[in-house]
Amino acid sequence: MAGTHRWQTALAVVVVVFMIAAGLLVSAVPLKDGARDWFAPLAAGGWMAWTFPTAAFFLTILALLSLMAVWEYASPGGHPRVGILRFETTRGDRLFVSLLGSAFIHLAWLGLVGPGLWWALALSVVYAIAVFRYV
Amino acid sequence: MDKTWNNKAWFLVLPVLVLVAFSAVIPLMTVVNYSVQDTFGNNQFFWAGTEWFEELLASDRFWQAMGRNLIFSFIILAIEVPLGIFIALNMPKKGWGVPVCLVLMALPLLIPWNVVGTIWQVFGRNDIGLLGYTVNALGIDYNYVKDPFDAWVTVIVMDVWHWTSLVVLLCYAGLVSIPDAFYQAAKIDGASRWSVFRYIQLPKMQRVLLIAVLLRFMDSFMIYTEPFVVTGGGPGNSTTFLSIDLVKMALGQFDLGPAAAMSLVYFLIILLLSWVFYTVMTNYDAER
Repeated sequence: MAGTHRWQTALAVVVVVFMIAAGLLVSAVPLKDGARDWFAPLAAGGWMAWTFPTAAFFLTILALLSLMAVWEYASPGGHPRVGILRFETTRGDRLFVSLLGSAFIHLAWLGLVGPGLWWALALSVVYAIAVFRYV
Repeated sequence: MDKTWNNKAWFLVLPVLVLVAFSAVIPLMTVVNYSVQDTFGNNQFFWAGTEWFEELLASDRFWQAMGRNLIFSFIILAIEVPLGIFIALNMPKKGWGVPVCLVLMALPLLIPWNVVGTIWQVFGRNDIGLLGYTVNALGIDYNYVKDPFDAWVTVIVMDVWHWTSLVVLLCYAGLVSIPDAFYQAAKIDGASRWSVFRYIQLPKMQRVLLIAVLLRFMDSFMIYTEPFVVTGGGPGNSTTFLSIDLVKMALGQFDLGPAAAMSLVYFLIILLLSWVFYTVMTNYDAER
């Protein structure tokens, strides 16, 4: 199956759109005493009670999905293979396992260690790399 | 034959994506937003960070409800799947009995959840209910309002009565799709009844059984209406499942933040268990 060579354009579009969206998001953060209040509601009394951290979280998920779409565009077929779990997984499966596992890593960290989730995030990144490499 | 890869086909999926966005993704996003904030009403929110998740993970109330839910789902699957297969195997495959059995099997599925709850609430009462009165008349002390064990039996029997038909109908659909040639070959080989079931019928039912197990697991893990109508989560908290606890927290106490955090953890557990079920069963299927 022949891949397409136009994936670089698609990747550039995704990166540019993500940067613009991130910039807009940062500019929407309300000011308090002259400094940005990162945890305040983006629109007080607004729809869905958005805040910067939750919006950034979903923007990151959207960016990941878009990057997966670009990857699929560049190399169609999902790259199925049998890894250490002894069953066939595609790239989409591996992303799903990575995200689900990361959610549980964060929950376990909260339950067993406590707040301060940067180490849990680092552990999740290592876990996701391992999943994409070996599963 | 080489497959044709045309990524433009993804645009055909767009209407479904839009529908899913409105019915699932936007509510889920809202729940995520609520789970890290606190509110006292009036659509005003205050940042709480991971506080609700920490509270939830340290809460006995949550883990006890989770334990009850897992035990309930396990019991339901252990009863409904074998019973459904057994009934499907014994249903007629041709003649006038087929439509009669299919209609009888479909009847419980047509009754709304709250009506099923009401039926069993009255049916199980030991003063006016046929079941409760009869069981007590037989000398067995049965009172689902006071006794946790009786409440569990009532809720389980009610669920079995309501949902075994679904397993039956799915298994029956799998069974009638088996060509007669398979049975003829088994007869020529002198296969026993058990061998026919083990090597012909069960493998052919596997795909529908996967769907049945998934549906019944997810449904039973999210059960709310029926036990709420029958027992209201009691006696005490003995039949308070996660969904009942969640509704108490969200609507009864109006603790939107903790309820949202609980919803997310609940959602992740269902997602994980469904994925495990699906992966194990589809890969077992593929190996065969």
